[in-house]
Amino acid sequence: MSVFILLLGPPLASALLAVAVKPYRQFVGWANALLSPFSIGAAVALWGHVLAGDVLTSGPGEFLRADALSTLLALCVSVVGALAAWLGPGMGGDDGYDGAQARKFRIFGNLFTFTMLFAVTSNNLGFMWIAIEATTITSAMLIPLHVTKASVEASWKYILIGSVGIALAFGGTVLGYFDFVNLAGHREGALNWTVLMASASRLHPQVIQLAFVFILIGYGTKAGLAPMHTWLPDAHSEAPAPLSAMMSGVLLAVALYAVIRWEAVVTAAVGTGFTDGLFIALGVLSLVIAAFSLVVQQNYKRMLAYSSIEHTGLMCVGLALGPLGSFAAMLHLVNHTLAKSMLFFLAGRVLHRYRTTEIGRVSGLLTVMPWTGGLFAAGVLAVVGLPPFGLFISEFALFRAGFAAGRPWLMGLVLALLAVAFVSMIGHLNRMLYGPPAPGVTVGEGNGWPLVPLGVCATALVVLGLTLPAPLQVLLERIVEIAGR
Amino acid sequence: MDSAFSQLCVLGSSLVLIFGLILLWRRGVTAYINAFVWQSTVLSAVTATVGYFGNDRELYWVAGGLFLLKGVAIPRLLRRMERRFAAERELEPYVNTATSLVVSGLLVLFGYAITRPLVALSQLPTRAGMPLAMGLVLVSLFVVISRKKALTQVIGFLMLENGLALLAVLGTYGIPLIVELGVFLDVLMGFLVMQIFIYQIHETFESIDVEQLNRLRH
Repeated sequence: MSVFILLLGPPLASALLAVAVKPYRQFVGWANALLSPFSIGAAVALWGHVLAGDVLTSGPGEFLRADALSTLLALCVSVVGALAAWLGPGMGGDDGYDGAQARKFRIFGNLFTFTMLFAVTSNNLGFMWIAIEATTITSAMLIPLHVTKASVEASWKYILIGSVGIALAFGGTVLGYFDFVNLAGHREGALNWTVLMASASRLHPQVIQLAFVFILIGYGTKAGLAPMHTWLPDAHSEAPAPLSAMMSGVLLAVALYAVIRWEAVVTAAVGTGFTDGLFIALGVLSLVIAAFSLVVQQNYKRMLAYSSIEHTGLMCVGLALGPLGSFAAMLHLVNHTLAKSMLFFLAGRVLHRYRTTEIGRVSGLLTVMPWTGGLFAAGVLAVVGLPPFGLFISEFALFRAGFAAGRPWLMGLVLALLAVAFVSMIGHLNRMLYGPPAPGVTVGEGNGWPLVPLGVCATALVVLGLTLPAPLQVLLERIVEIAGR
Repeated sequence: MDSAFSQLCVLGSSLVLIFGLILLWRRGVTAYINAFVWQSTVLSAVTATVGYFGNDRELYWVAGGLFLLKGVAIPRLLRRMERRFAAERELEPYVNTATSLVVSGLLVLFGYAITRPLVALSQLPTRAGMPLAMGLVLVSLFVVISRKKALTQVIGFLMLENGLALLAVLGTYGIPLIVELGVFLDVLMGFLVMQIFIYQIHETFESIDVEQLNRLRH
């Protein structure tokens, strides 16, 4: 129980503190920042339990439960949540936000983190749905932190498309529940994932397949899978940097988590063929749309957003490639979380200095902000899949799994699409890094301490590119077992 | 007894679907809000009926909650917004009335097609209403996609949720009460946030016509 309190408590307490203190005071931000590492500690403790082979549960009817899959996501969410707490608005200095905006960020940003952590530790699939719906609400509130026509437009698209998508996921949840109730009657904890899994093999195949289509469309909307991705580039590019980092780094992963939970149930009921086909179709479509949107991209935040669609698509394809593929997809999830949240924070620094999101108007980044520019370059090289970064390893593993699974044509297509993304992103990066500094832009790094945690992210990416630590490997292997591969 | 119950459910579900179809041919937000109020009222009546015949007292609470939330509270907020934006003229939707009625007819048929395994599997006397609920879900989805006014999109979304609530109560006699409470809370919060955004759209664009929301491309 105490581990779960330590995990879920800090963001909730920080949000309540921000609600209580009006007008905003700087100590709220600092309290938030100092509390946030406790969540990471709790996630690491859960990791320890998973390595020791036990699954922690808590509350009446095993309300909360943390197996390997939950633990991985809890780790990712708490790390990015802590980054947002340290680098978010309202920590002093000129960060471009006033007190009211900082207060709003501290309230909804922490609630956002809380709902994501709750979503991945809830054993009850109904509550998981409620929490994921709540992530839409809390994060949407933060998109128009600076009210502009573009941010208002982005927030409307996000809340409408996100809510409709998540409502369809609710439909899928109801259909899954319907299937279970017809099998076993109304039982205590019938929506609990563990209970559902126990009788999954006897579920009615057609009904659970229909349920999964709804689930995949619904949560897939939030995961940014094409063709339901249309909200994503707008929301990621218009949101303030810390929110973009959280959305791209972990919200997409949390939505994918929900899909994997249900995929395990469906796989137990009807085998892997059905889900594999759907994953490949949506994954490849996402890759196609992302790759060609990257070519014409003129806005670096949108470039990062499309790159997120690309990587979600890639993970989706990975999930369809047997145990090795699932392993690679989960490793890729970790790498992508680190790389993309770092990049969005850096993009926030670039935006703050250049006052534009247009690639064409950002030039001489390496001269203007050498450290930010250097890390940004490292991040982009990482997300296009170059060594020595972790994404190279996970993509390599994914391709190996694909060839081993006997899908050379699919892998060839995916490789070609990744190459398109590679060429266009490197081109955009070149235009930003070099050339004379844009006129009227101050040269010099400015406040450099936010770069320290981001440098840690980059270092972690390099470490994951050189070696796969044994505890992480065990964690990922357990997840592959959970996903029923 | 069971056949009366079954017929009541089909009657109620049909009414819920028909109130949803009103969005397709009427013009004017007032009519939409009225249709939504009636739809929510019938939905809560169906829920209470299922509770009565199914001997499930929890469902009375769900019915009461549904009525207070979707029959009273949300319509009141919708009317307040409508008065605020009354001066705005209604826009032609992307799809004209005749076409949208045909499309909706096909969607309801499609709803019947995909719910066939459900109806075949279920033993409950309420099962005949499930295709209608699925039809409403699909039609509401179409309304959200094909309309240009933010307020109409929200009403379409609320009707979609009504369709899902109907599906849940007919198919399973309701999801567990504690989950249902969480869903209510989410519906309310989500609606309140949408309301804030509609006011924001109105302030920044001086209209709630979403066709103007076209700055972000590629």
